[in-house]
Amino acid sequence: MSLFAFLGTLEIGLIYGLVALGVYLTFRILDFPDLTVDGSFPMGGAVVATAIVAGMNPWLATVLAFLAGAASGLVTAFLAVRCGILHLLASILTMIAAFSINIRIMGRPNMALLGDATIFTPFENMGVDPTYARLAVVFGLVLLSFLFIIRLLSSDFGLALRATGVNEQMVAAQGGSTALYTYFGLALSNGFVGFAGALFAMTSSFADVTSGVGTIVVGLAAVILGQTLLPGKRIWVAVLAVIIGSILYRLAVAFALSSGMFGMQPSDLNLITATLVAAALIVPKMKGKLQFKKSAKA
Amino acid sequence: MLHLQDIHVTFNGGTILENHALRGISLTVPEHQFLTIIGSNGAGKSTLLGAASGETPTSTGRVEIDNVDVTKWPVYRRAMYAARVFQNPLAGTCATLTIEENMALAYSRVKRRDWRLALSSKRRKLFRERISILGLGLEDRLSDSIGLLSGGQRQAVSLVMATLADSRLLLLDEHTAALDPRMAAFILELTNTVVKDFGLTVMMVTHSMKDALACGDRTIMLHQGKTVLDVAGEERDKLDVAHLLEMFNKVRGEELTDDSLLLS
Repeated sequence: MSLFAFLGTLEIGLIYGLVALGVYLTFRILDFPDLTVDGSFPMGGAVVATAIVAGMNPWLATVLAFLAGAASGLVTAFLAVRCGILHLLASILTMIAAFSINIRIMGRPNMALLGDATIFTPFENMGVDPTYARLAVVFGLVLLSFLFIIRLLSSDFGLALRATGVNEQMVAAQGGSTALYTYFGLALSNGFVGFAGALFAMTSSFADVTSGVGTIVVGLAAVILGQTLLPGKRIWVAVLAVIIGSILYRLAVAFALSSGMFGMQPSDLNLITATLVAAALIVPKMKGKLQFKKSAKA
Repeated sequence: MLHLQDIHVTFNGGTILENHALRGISLTVPEHQFLTIIGSNGAGKSTLLGAASGETPTSTGRVEIDNVDVTKWPVYRRAMYAARVFQNPLAGTCATLTIEENMALAYSRVKRRDWRLALSSKRRKLFRERISILGLGLEDRLSDSIGLLSGGQRQAVSLVMATLADSRLLLLDEHTAALDPRMAAFILELTNTVVKDFGLTVMMVTHSMKDALACGDRTIMLHQGKTVLDVAGEERDKLDVAHLLEMFNKVRGEELTDDSLLLS
Protein backbone atom coordinates (compact mmCIF):
# COMPACT_ATOMS: atom_id res chain seq x y z
CA MET A 1 0.00 0.00 0.00
CA SER A 2 1.39 3.41 -0.93
CA LEU A 3 1.75 6.15 1.67
CA PHE A 4 -0.91 8.15 -0.17
CA ALA A 5 -3.36 5.27 -0.04
CA PHE A 6 -2.51 4.68 3.62
CA LEU A 7 -3.26 8.30 4.56
CA GLY A 8 -6.50 8.18 2.59
CA THR A 9 -7.53 5.03 4.44
CA LEU A 10 -6.67 6.62 7.77
CA GLU A 11 -8.84 9.61 6.90
CA ILE A 12 -11.82 7.43 5.97
CA GLY A 13 -11.25 5.33 9.07
CA LEU A 14 -11.36 8.41 11.27
CA ILE A 15 -14.49 9.76 9.58
CA TYR A 16 -16.22 6.42 10.00
CA GLY A 17 -14.97 6.50 13.58
CA LEU A 18 -17.68 9.12 14.12
CA VAL A 19 -20.22 6.72 12.63
CA ALA A 20 -18.90 4.06 15.00
CA LEU A 21 -19.34 6.48 17.91
CA GLY A 22 -22.97 6.93 16.93
CA VAL A 23 -23.54 3.21 16.54
CA TYR A 24 -21.85 2.63 19.90
CA LEU A 25 -24.28 5.07 21.53
CA THR A 26 -27.34 3.28 20.21
CA PHE A 27 -26.31 -0.39 20.04
CA ARG A 28 -24.15 -0.56 23.13
CA ILE A 29 -25.28 2.24 25.43
CA LEU A 30 -29.00 2.36 24.71
CA ASP A 31 -29.38 -1.24 23.51
CA PHE A 32 -31.41 0.18 20.62
CA PRO A 33 -30.58 -1.39 17.23
CA ASP A 34 -30.79 1.70 15.06
CA LEU A 35 -30.62 1.48 11.28
CA THR A 36 -31.45 5.17 10.85
CA VAL A 37 -27.75 5.76 10.25
CA ASP A 38 -28.08 4.41 6.69
CA GLY A 39 -30.27 7.45 6.07
CA SER A 40 -28.64 10.03 8.31
CA PHE A 41 -25.15 9.49 6.84
CA PRO A 42 -26.11 10.52 3.28
CA MET A 43 -28.38 13.18 4.79
CA GLY A 44 -25.35 14.83 6.36
CA GLY A 45 -23.65 14.82 2.96
CA ALA A 46 -26.73 16.08 1.16
CA VAL A 47 -27.26 18.94 3.57
CA VAL A 48 -23.65 20.09 3.62
CA ALA A 49 -23.33 19.92 -0.18
CA THR A 50 -26.58 21.77 -0.83
CA ALA A 51 -25.82 24.43 1.78
CA ILE A 52 -22.26 25.01 0.54
CA VAL A 53 -23.31 25.21 -3.10
CA ALA A 54 -25.98 27.68 -2.04
CA GLY A 55 -23.19 29.83 -0.57
CA MET A 56 -23.43 29.07 3.12
CA ASN A 57 -20.41 29.16 5.40
CA PRO A 58 -19.00 25.59 5.35
CA TRP A 59 -18.74 25.37 9.15
CA LEU A 60 -22.34 26.46 9.52
CA ALA A 61 -23.29 23.96 6.83
CA THR A 62 -21.56 21.22 8.83
CA VAL A 63 -23.48 22.17 11.95
CA LEU A 64 -26.65 22.04 9.86
CA ALA A 65 -25.70 18.52 8.71
CA PHE A 66 -25.29 17.47 12.34
CA LEU A 67 -28.71 18.87 13.19
CA ALA A 68 -30.33 17.17 10.17
CA GLY A 69 -28.91 13.82 11.31
CA ALA A 70 -30.10 14.48 14.85
CA ALA A 71 -33.59 15.28 13.54
CA SER A 72 -33.82 11.91 11.79
CA GLY A 73 -32.75 10.27 15.05
CA LEU A 74 -35.59 12.09 16.81
CA VAL A 75 -38.07 10.77 14.26
CA THR A 76 -36.96 7.19 14.98
CA ALA A 77 -37.15 7.83 18.73
CA PHE A 78 -40.65 9.27 18.33
CA LEU A 79 -41.84 6.23 16.36
CA ALA A 80 -40.35 3.86 18.93
CA VAL A 81 -41.09 5.64 22.21
CA ARG A 82 -44.30 7.49 21.52
CA CYS A 83 -45.90 5.20 18.95
CA GLY A 84 -44.57 1.95 20.39
CA ILE A 85 -43.21 0.63 17.09
CA LEU A 86 -40.57 -2.08 17.36
CA HIS A 87 -37.16 -0.38 17.59
CA LEU A 88 -35.66 -2.02 14.55
CA LEU A 89 -38.72 -1.39 12.41
CA ALA A 90 -39.00 2.25 13.53
CA SER A 91 -35.43 2.87 12.42
CA ILE A 92 -35.95 1.11 9.09
CA LEU A 93 -38.98 3.32 8.41
CA THR A 94 -36.93 6.46 9.04
CA MET A 95 -34.10 5.12 6.91
CA ILE A 96 -36.41 4.46 3.95
CA ALA A 97 -38.08 7.86 4.32
CA ALA A 98 -34.68 9.56 4.52
CA PHE A 99 -33.79 8.25 1.05
CA SER A 100 -36.59 10.29 -0.53
CA ILE A 101 -35.89 13.28 1.68
CA ASN A 102 -32.20 13.28 0.75
CA ILE A 103 -33.07 13.48 -2.94
CA ARG A 104 -35.48 16.32 -2.15
CA ILE A 105 -32.76 18.16 -0.25
CA MET A 106 -30.33 18.04 -3.15
CA GLY A 107 -32.96 18.12 -5.87
CA ARG A 108 -31.17 15.17 -7.51
CA PRO A 109 -29.56 11.89 -6.41
CA ASN A 110 -26.01 13.24 -6.25
CA MET A 111 -24.12 16.48 -6.20
CA ALA A 112 -20.52 17.51 -6.82
CA LEU A 113 -18.60 19.86 -4.56
CA LEU A 114 -15.73 20.55 -6.95
CA GLY A 115 -14.18 23.95 -6.49
CA ASP A 116 -16.40 24.97 -3.62
CA ALA A 117 -14.75 26.01 -0.37
CA THR A 118 -15.21 23.45 2.40
CA ILE A 119 -14.07 23.53 6.03
CA PHE A 120 -10.81 22.01 4.79
CA THR A 121 -10.00 24.68 2.20
CA PRO A 122 -8.26 27.19 4.53
CA PHE A 123 -6.06 24.44 5.99
CA GLU A 124 -5.23 22.98 2.59
CA ASN A 125 -3.97 26.39 1.51
CA MET A 126 -1.65 26.82 4.48
CA GLY A 127 1.37 25.57 2.58
CA VAL A 128 1.55 22.03 3.91
CA ASP A 129 0.62 19.03 1.84
CA PRO A 130 -3.21 19.17 1.52
CA THR A 131 -3.50 15.46 2.34
CA TYR A 132 -1.80 15.98 5.70
CA ALA A 133 -3.75 19.14 6.39
CA ARG A 134 -7.04 17.39 5.77
CA LEU A 135 -6.03 14.45 7.91
CA ALA A 136 -5.04 16.77 10.75
CA VAL A 137 -8.42 18.55 10.66
CA VAL A 138 -10.33 15.27 10.62
CA PHE A 139 -8.17 13.98 13.46
CA GLY A 140 -8.84 17.12 15.49
CA LEU A 141 -12.60 16.90 14.98
CA VAL A 142 -12.69 13.21 15.89
CA LEU A 143 -10.58 13.90 18.98
CA LEU A 144 -12.99 16.64 20.09
CA SER A 145 -15.96 14.32 19.54
CA PHE A 146 -14.20 11.58 21.52
CA LEU A 147 -13.54 13.92 24.46
CA PHE A 148 -17.11 15.19 24.34
CA ILE A 149 -18.56 11.68 24.46
CA ILE A 150 -16.44 10.43 27.36
CA ARG A 151 -17.14 13.60 29.33
CA LEU A 152 -20.85 13.25 28.61
CA LEU A 153 -20.93 9.60 29.68
CA SER A 154 -19.17 10.46 32.95
CA SER A 155 -21.72 13.10 33.90
CA ASP A 156 -24.87 12.65 35.97
CA PHE A 157 -26.88 12.84 32.76
CA GLY A 158 -24.62 10.35 30.98
CA LEU A 159 -24.81 7.87 33.83
CA ALA A 160 -28.60 7.76 33.53
CA LEU A 161 -28.22 7.45 29.74
CA ARG A 162 -25.96 4.42 30.23
CA ALA A 163 -28.32 2.83 32.74
CA THR A 164 -31.31 3.29 30.40
CA GLY A 165 -30.01 0.61 28.04
CA VAL A 166 -29.53 -1.86 30.88
CA ASN A 167 -32.27 -1.37 33.45
CA GLU A 168 -35.13 0.96 32.54
CA GLN A 169 -37.07 0.15 35.69
CA MET A 170 -34.15 1.28 37.83
CA VAL A 171 -33.69 4.52 35.90
CA ALA A 172 -37.37 5.39 36.39
CA ALA A 173 -37.17 4.51 40.09
CA GLN A 174 -34.17 6.84 40.34
CA GLY A 175 -36.14 9.69 38.86
CA GLY A 176 -34.92 9.48 35.26
CA SER A 177 -37.23 9.63 32.25
CA THR A 178 -36.15 6.78 29.99
CA ALA A 179 -38.06 8.37 27.11
CA LEU A 180 -35.94 11.52 27.41
CA TYR A 181 -32.70 9.52 27.35
CA THR A 182 -33.85 7.51 24.34
CA TYR A 183 -34.69 10.70 22.42
CA PHE A 184 -31.41 12.29 23.39
CA GLY A 185 -29.31 9.21 22.66
CA LEU A 186 -30.77 8.68 19.22
CA ALA A 187 -30.50 12.37 18.33
CA LEU A 188 -26.87 12.55 19.41
CA SER A 189 -25.99 9.28 17.68
CA ASN A 190 -27.50 10.31 14.36
CA GLY A 191 -26.11 13.80 14.77
CA PHE A 192 -22.61 12.33 14.80
CA VAL A 193 -23.45 10.14 11.81
CA GLY A 194 -24.75 13.18 9.92
CA PHE A 195 -21.55 15.00 10.87
CA ALA A 196 -19.53 12.06 9.51
CA GLY A 197 -21.58 12.15 6.31
CA ALA A 198 -20.79 15.85 5.92
CA LEU A 199 -17.05 15.28 6.41
CA PHE A 200 -17.17 12.40 3.96
CA ALA A 201 -18.90 14.53 1.34
CA MET A 202 -16.42 17.39 1.80
CA THR A 203 -13.30 15.19 1.64
CA SER A 204 -14.51 13.26 -1.39
CA SER A 205 -16.06 16.33 -3.05
CA PHE A 206 -19.43 14.80 -3.72
CA ALA A 207 -22.62 13.78 -1.98
CA ASP A 208 -24.61 10.76 -3.07
CA VAL A 209 -27.85 9.29 -1.70
CA THR A 210 -26.56 5.76 -2.10
CA SER A 211 -23.47 6.43 0.03
CA GLY A 212 -25.46 5.36 3.10
CA VAL A 213 -25.98 1.75 2.11
CA GLY A 214 -24.41 -0.50 4.72
CA THR A 215 -23.35 2.35 7.04
CA ILE A 216 -24.82 0.45 9.99
CA VAL A 217 -22.83 -2.69 9.23
CA VAL A 218 -19.59 -0.76 8.85
CA GLY A 219 -20.26 1.05 12.13
CA LEU A 220 -21.11 -2.19 13.87
CA ALA A 221 -17.99 -3.85 12.46
CA ALA A 222 -15.89 -1.03 13.93
CA VAL A 223 -17.58 -1.28 17.33
CA ILE A 224 -17.25 -5.05 17.54
CA LEU A 225 -13.73 -5.22 16.12
CA GLY A 226 -12.48 -2.46 18.41
CA GLN A 227 -14.05 -3.83 21.55
CA THR A 228 -12.83 -7.35 20.84
CA LEU A 229 -9.24 -6.19 20.34
CA LEU A 230 -9.32 -3.56 23.08
CA PRO A 231 -11.56 -4.91 25.80
CA GLY A 232 -12.00 -2.86 28.94
CA LYS A 233 -14.78 -1.79 31.22
CA ARG A 234 -13.67 1.82 31.56
CA ILE A 235 -15.76 4.11 29.46
CA TRP A 236 -12.87 5.97 27.78
CA VAL A 237 -11.26 2.67 26.77
CA ALA A 238 -14.54 1.49 25.25
CA VAL A 239 -15.03 4.72 23.29
CA LEU A 240 -11.42 4.81 22.12
CA ALA A 241 -11.68 1.15 21.07
CA VAL A 242 -14.61 2.00 18.82
CA ILE A 243 -12.64 4.65 16.92
CA ILE A 244 -9.54 2.46 16.66
CA GLY A 245 -11.78 -0.38 15.49
CA SER A 246 -12.99 1.81 12.65
CA ILE A 247 -9.44 2.63 11.53
CA LEU A 248 -8.31 -1.00 11.76
CA TYR A 249 -11.35 -2.13 9.82
CA ARG A 250 -10.56 0.30 6.99
CA LEU A 251 -6.90 -0.69 6.98
CA ALA A 252 -7.74 -4.40 6.86
CA VAL A 253 -10.16 -3.88 3.99
CA ALA A 254 -7.76 -1.65 2.05
CA PHE A 255 -4.95 -4.12 2.56
CA ALA A 256 -7.03 -7.10 1.44
CA LEU A 257 -8.25 -5.29 -1.66
CA SER A 258 -4.99 -3.65 -2.68
CA SER A 259 -2.85 -6.74 -2.31
CA GLY A 260 -5.26 -8.62 -4.55
CA MET A 261 -5.28 -11.40 -1.98
CA PHE A 262 -7.70 -14.26 -2.56
CA GLY A 263 -8.63 -12.62 -5.87
CA MET A 264 -11.00 -10.15 -4.21
CA GLN A 265 -12.51 -7.14 -5.93
CA PRO A 266 -13.98 -3.96 -4.40
CA SER A 267 -17.55 -5.16 -4.80
CA ASP A 268 -16.80 -8.04 -2.41
CA LEU A 269 -16.53 -5.50 0.39
CA ASN A 270 -20.08 -5.96 1.68
CA LEU A 271 -19.70 -9.73 1.81
CA ILE A 272 -16.41 -9.44 3.71
CA THR A 273 -17.90 -6.94 6.17
CA ALA A 274 -20.99 -9.00 6.83
CA THR A 275 -18.86 -12.13 7.36
CA LEU A 276 -16.56 -10.22 9.70
CA VAL A 277 -19.45 -8.89 11.81
CA ALA A 278 -21.16 -12.29 11.93
CA ALA A 279 -17.90 -13.94 12.99
CA ALA A 280 -17.24 -11.32 15.65
CA LEU A 281 -20.75 -11.88 17.05
CA ILE A 282 -20.47 -15.69 17.02
CA VAL A 283 -16.95 -16.09 18.43
CA PRO A 284 -17.65 -14.75 21.96
CA LYS A 285 -20.60 -17.16 22.26
CA MET A 286 -18.48 -20.13 21.10
CA LYS A 287 -15.79 -19.11 23.57
CA GLY A 288 -18.33 -19.17 26.39
CA LYS A 289 -19.54 -22.61 25.39
CA LEU A 290 -16.00 -23.99 25.15
CA GLN A 291 -15.15 -22.66 28.60
CA PHE A 292 -18.31 -24.21 29.94
CA LYS A 293 -17.39 -27.59 28.48
CA LYS A 294 -13.87 -27.34 29.88
CA SER A 295 -15.09 -26.55 33.36
CA ALA A 296 -17.62 -29.35 33.13
CA LYS A 297 -14.84 -31.80 32.33
CA ALA A 298 -12.59 -30.57 35.13
CA MET B 1 -47.26 12.00 54.26
CA LEU B 2 -48.88 9.50 51.91
CA HIS B 3 -52.58 9.52 51.28
CA LEU B 4 -54.42 7.03 49.07
CA GLN B 5 -58.10 7.66 48.54
CA ASP B 6 -60.59 5.17 47.16
CA ILE B 7 -58.10 3.45 44.89
CA HIS B 8 -59.45 1.06 42.29
CA VAL B 9 -57.16 -0.86 39.99
CA THR B 10 -58.46 -3.12 37.24
CA PHE B 11 -56.20 -5.14 34.99
CA ASN B 12 -57.40 -6.19 31.53
CA GLY B 13 -60.61 -4.22 31.99
CA GLY B 14 -63.44 -5.21 29.68
CA THR B 15 -61.92 -8.54 28.70
CA ILE B 16 -62.49 -12.07 29.92
CA LEU B 17 -59.28 -11.76 31.96
CA GLU B 18 -60.59 -8.75 33.88
CA ASN B 19 -59.05 -8.64 37.33
CA HIS B 20 -60.21 -6.15 39.88
CA ALA B 21 -56.99 -6.04 41.89
CA LEU B 22 -57.82 -3.16 44.24
CA ARG B 23 -61.39 -2.43 45.24
CA GLY B 24 -61.61 0.98 46.79
CA ILE B 25 -58.74 1.12 49.23
CA SER B 26 -58.22 4.25 51.27
CA LEU B 27 -55.11 4.55 53.34
CA THR B 28 -53.26 7.34 55.10
CA VAL B 29 -49.71 6.83 56.20
CA PRO B 30 -48.61 9.64 58.54
CA GLU B 31 -45.04 10.89 58.65
CA HIS B 32 -42.49 8.55 60.29
CA GLN B 33 -44.89 5.62 60.29
CA PHE B 34 -43.52 2.19 59.37
CA LEU B 35 -46.43 0.32 57.79
CA THR B 36 -46.23 -3.37 56.93
CA ILE B 37 -48.61 -4.95 54.45
CA ILE B 38 -49.49 -8.65 54.35
CA GLY B 39 -51.93 -10.77 52.41
CA SER B 40 -52.09 -13.89 50.28
CA ASN B 41 -51.01 -14.11 46.67
CA GLY B 42 -53.17 -11.87 44.52
CA ALA B 43 -54.52 -9.94 47.49
CA GLY B 44 -53.26 -6.70 45.95
CA LYS B 45 -50.22 -5.98 48.14
CA SER B 46 -47.81 -5.19 45.34
CA THR B 47 -50.55 -3.46 43.37
CA LEU B 48 -51.14 -1.14 46.31
CA LEU B 49 -47.45 -0.34 46.46
CA GLY B 50 -47.50 0.14 42.69
CA ALA B 51 -50.34 2.62 43.05
CA ALA B 52 -48.19 4.62 45.45
CA SER B 53 -45.06 4.49 43.29
CA GLY B 54 -46.88 5.09 40.03
CA GLU B 55 -45.90 1.73 38.56
CA THR B 56 -49.55 0.60 38.38
CA PRO B 57 -51.97 3.06 36.80
CA THR B 58 -55.05 3.50 38.95
CA SER B 59 -58.53 3.32 37.40
CA THR B 60 -60.03 5.73 39.90
CA GLY B 61 -58.93 7.35 43.12
CA ARG B 62 -56.43 9.88 44.26
CA VAL B 63 -52.82 9.61 45.39
CA GLU B 64 -51.27 12.37 47.46
CA ILE B 65 -47.74 12.62 48.73
CA ASP B 66 -46.90 15.49 51.05
CA ASN B 67 -50.27 17.08 50.17
CA VAL B 68 -49.36 17.13 46.49
CA ASP B 69 -51.73 15.34 44.12
CA VAL B 70 -49.46 12.95 42.23
CA THR B 71 -52.19 10.72 40.77
CA LYS B 72 -51.25 11.55 37.20
CA TRP B 73 -47.49 11.65 37.73
CA PRO B 74 -45.37 9.00 36.02
CA VAL B 75 -42.99 6.82 38.03
CA TYR B 76 -39.92 8.96 37.43
CA ARG B 77 -41.55 12.13 38.75
CA ARG B 78 -42.83 10.43 41.88
CA ALA B 79 -39.27 9.22 42.49
CA MET B 80 -38.69 12.76 43.74
CA TYR B 81 -40.62 11.79 46.86
CA ALA B 82 -40.24 8.04 47.12
CA ALA B 83 -37.26 5.71 47.16
CA ARG B 84 -37.88 2.07 46.29
CA VAL B 85 -36.32 -1.33 46.79
CA PHE B 86 -37.59 -4.18 44.63
CA GLN B 87 -38.14 -7.86 45.27
CA ASN B 88 -35.69 -8.83 42.55
CA PRO B 89 -32.22 -7.86 43.84
CA LEU B 90 -31.06 -7.32 40.25
CA ALA B 91 -33.81 -4.81 39.49
CA GLY B 92 -32.67 -2.03 41.78
CA THR B 93 -29.16 -1.65 40.43
CA CYS B 94 -27.54 -1.38 37.01
CA ALA B 95 -25.27 -4.38 36.41
CA THR B 96 -22.87 -2.75 33.96
CA LEU B 97 -22.11 0.27 36.13
CA THR B 98 -19.73 0.23 39.08
CA ILE B 99 -20.89 0.36 42.69
CA GLU B 100 -20.03 4.05 42.97
CA GLU B 101 -21.73 4.86 39.67
CA ASN B 102 -24.90 3.16 40.88
CA MET B 103 -24.68 5.20 44.04
CA ALA B 104 -24.19 8.36 42.02
CA LEU B 105 -27.36 7.57 40.07
CA ALA B 106 -29.26 7.22 43.33
CA TYR B 107 -27.61 10.32 44.75
CA SER B 108 -29.03 12.43 41.92
CA ARG B 109 -32.55 10.94 42.18
CA VAL B 110 -34.18 14.17 43.31
CA LYS B 111 -31.92 16.47 41.31
CA ARG B 112 -31.86 17.61 37.72
CA ARG B 113 -29.27 15.44 36.01
CA ASP B 114 -26.89 17.70 34.16
CA TRP B 115 -23.39 17.98 32.79
CA ARG B 116 -21.77 17.77 36.23
CA LEU B 117 -19.28 14.93 36.75
CA ALA B 118 -21.05 12.01 38.41
CA LEU B 119 -18.09 11.11 40.57
CA SER B 120 -16.32 13.86 42.44
CA SER B 121 -13.98 13.20 45.35
CA LYS B 122 -16.58 14.73 47.66
CA ARG B 123 -19.25 12.32 46.48
CA ARG B 124 -16.86 9.36 46.65
CA LYS B 125 -16.12 10.19 50.25
CA LEU B 126 -19.83 10.24 51.07
CA PHE B 127 -20.42 6.93 49.25
CA ARG B 128 -17.54 5.26 51.12
CA GLU B 129 -18.88 6.46 54.41
CA ARG B 130 -22.44 5.34 53.70
CA ILE B 131 -21.60 1.92 52.30
CA SER B 132 -19.26 1.11 55.16
CA ILE B 133 -22.23 0.77 57.55
CA LEU B 134 -23.00 -2.50 55.78
CA GLY B 135 -19.83 -4.06 57.15
CA LEU B 136 -19.46 -6.04 53.93
CA GLY B 137 -16.12 -4.51 52.95
CA LEU B 138 -17.69 -2.93 49.87
CA GLU B 139 -16.12 0.45 50.64
CA ASP B 140 -12.87 -0.90 49.16
CA ARG B 141 -14.60 -2.17 46.03
CA LEU B 142 -16.40 1.02 44.96
CA SER B 143 -15.01 0.86 41.42
CA ASP B 144 -15.98 -2.78 40.92
CA SER B 145 -18.87 -3.50 38.61
CA ILE B 146 -21.98 -4.11 40.70
CA GLY B 147 -22.76 -7.15 38.57
CA LEU B 148 -19.97 -8.95 40.45
CA LEU B 149 -21.87 -8.80 43.73
CA SER B 150 -24.29 -11.44 45.01
CA GLY B 151 -28.04 -10.80 45.09
CA GLY B 152 -27.96 -10.15 48.82
CA GLN B 153 -25.08 -7.71 48.54
CA ARG B 154 -26.85 -5.88 45.72
CA GLN B 155 -29.99 -5.65 47.82
CA ALA B 156 -27.95 -4.20 50.69
CA VAL B 157 -26.46 -1.62 48.32
CA SER B 158 -29.97 -0.84 47.02
CA LEU B 159 -31.04 -0.01 50.55
CA VAL B 160 -28.08 2.29 51.07
CA MET B 161 -28.84 3.88 47.70
CA ALA B 162 -32.41 4.53 48.82
CA THR B 163 -31.09 6.77 51.58
CA LEU B 164 -28.58 8.75 49.49
CA ALA B 165 -31.00 11.28 48.12
CA ASP B 166 -33.23 13.40 50.25
CA SER B 167 -36.67 11.84 50.47
CA ARG B 168 -38.74 10.54 53.32
CA LEU B 169 -40.93 7.87 51.79
CA LEU B 170 -39.48 4.38 51.34
CA LEU B 171 -41.40 1.71 49.42
CA LEU B 172 -40.24 -1.87 49.95
CA ASP B 173 -41.74 -4.59 47.77
CA GLU B 174 -40.97 -7.94 49.43
CA HIS B 175 -37.37 -6.91 49.33
CA THR B 176 -36.15 -9.94 51.32
CA ALA B 177 -38.24 -12.59 49.54
CA ALA B 178 -35.57 -13.61 47.03
CA LEU B 179 -32.75 -13.92 49.55
CA ASP B 180 -31.48 -16.81 51.67
CA PRO B 181 -32.68 -16.72 55.32
CA ARG B 182 -29.46 -15.32 56.75
CA MET B 183 -29.17 -12.57 54.16
CA ALA B 184 -32.89 -11.83 54.54
CA ALA B 185 -32.44 -11.35 58.28
CA PHE B 186 -29.45 -9.09 57.66
CA ILE B 187 -31.37 -6.95 55.16
CA LEU B 188 -34.34 -6.67 57.49
CA GLU B 189 -32.13 -5.55 60.34
CA LEU B 190 -30.45 -3.07 58.03
CA THR B 191 -33.88 -1.79 56.98
CA ASN B 192 -34.80 -1.11 60.60
CA THR B 193 -31.52 0.71 61.13
CA VAL B 194 -31.77 3.03 58.14
CA VAL B 195 -35.44 3.74 58.76
CA LYS B 196 -34.60 4.86 62.29
CA ASP B 197 -31.44 6.77 61.32
CA PHE B 198 -33.08 8.72 58.53
CA GLY B 199 -36.55 9.09 60.06
CA LEU B 200 -38.26 7.57 57.03
CA THR B 201 -41.90 6.85 56.35
CA VAL B 202 -42.14 3.27 55.14
CA MET B 203 -44.54 0.99 53.32
CA MET B 204 -43.24 -2.58 53.39
CA VAL B 205 -44.93 -5.45 51.60
CA THR B 206 -44.00 -8.86 52.96
CA HIS B 207 -45.00 -12.50 52.78
CA SER B 208 -43.77 -13.19 56.27
CA MET B 209 -46.31 -12.58 59.05
CA LYS B 210 -43.48 -12.73 61.55
CA ASP B 211 -41.61 -9.91 59.82
CA ALA B 212 -44.81 -7.95 59.39
CA LEU B 213 -45.34 -7.90 63.16
CA ALA B 214 -41.69 -7.63 64.15
CA CYS B 215 -41.01 -4.58 62.00
CA GLY B 216 -42.68 -1.24 62.06
CA ASP B 217 -45.60 0.13 64.04
CA ARG B 218 -48.68 -0.61 61.97
CA THR B 219 -49.85 -3.62 59.97
CA ILE B 220 -52.60 -3.98 57.42
CA MET B 221 -53.87 -7.18 55.86
CA LEU B 222 -55.29 -7.17 52.35
CA HIS B 223 -57.68 -9.65 50.91
CA GLN B 224 -59.19 -9.53 47.42
CA GLY B 225 -58.24 -5.92 46.98
CA LYS B 226 -59.67 -4.72 50.29
CA THR B 227 -58.26 -3.98 53.71
CA VAL B 228 -59.47 -6.64 56.14
CA LEU B 229 -57.28 -5.76 59.09
CA ASP B 230 -55.64 -2.54 60.20
CA VAL B 231 -53.87 -2.63 63.56
CA ALA B 232 -51.43 -0.38 65.33
CA GLY B 233 -50.25 0.39 68.86
CA GLU B 234 -51.19 -1.82 71.78
CA GLU B 235 -53.67 -3.88 69.86
CA ARG B 236 -50.91 -4.81 67.46
CA ASP B 237 -48.41 -5.52 70.21
CA LYS B 238 -50.75 -8.18 71.58
CA LEU B 239 -50.98 -9.94 68.23
CA ASP B 240 -48.74 -12.86 67.37
CA VAL B 241 -48.37 -14.94 64.24
CA ALA B 242 -50.93 -17.48 65.44
CA HIS B 243 -53.57 -14.75 65.81
CA LEU B 244 -52.76 -13.36 62.45
CA LEU B 245 -52.94 -16.76 60.85
CA GLU B 246 -56.30 -17.34 62.47
CA MET B 247 -57.66 -14.09 61.05
CA PHE B 248 -56.14 -14.91 57.76
CA ASN B 249 -57.95 -18.24 57.66
CA LYS B 250 -61.14 -16.61 58.82
CA VAL B 251 -61.31 -14.21 55.89
CA ARG B 252 -60.41 -17.03 53.57
CA GLY B 253 -63.16 -19.15 55.08
CA GLU B 254 -65.74 -16.44 54.61
CA GLU B 255 -64.70 -16.22 51.06
CA LEU B 256 -65.52 -19.91 50.63
CA THR B 257 -68.89 -19.75 52.33
CA ASP B 258 -70.15 -16.84 50.32
CA ASP B 259 -68.57 -18.07 47.16
CA SER B 260 -71.02 -18.90 44.46
CA LEU B 261 -68.59 -21.56 43.33
CA LEU B 262 -69.99 -23.87 45.99
CA LEU B 263 -73.52 -23.43 44.70
CA SER B 264 -72.79 -23.94 41.06
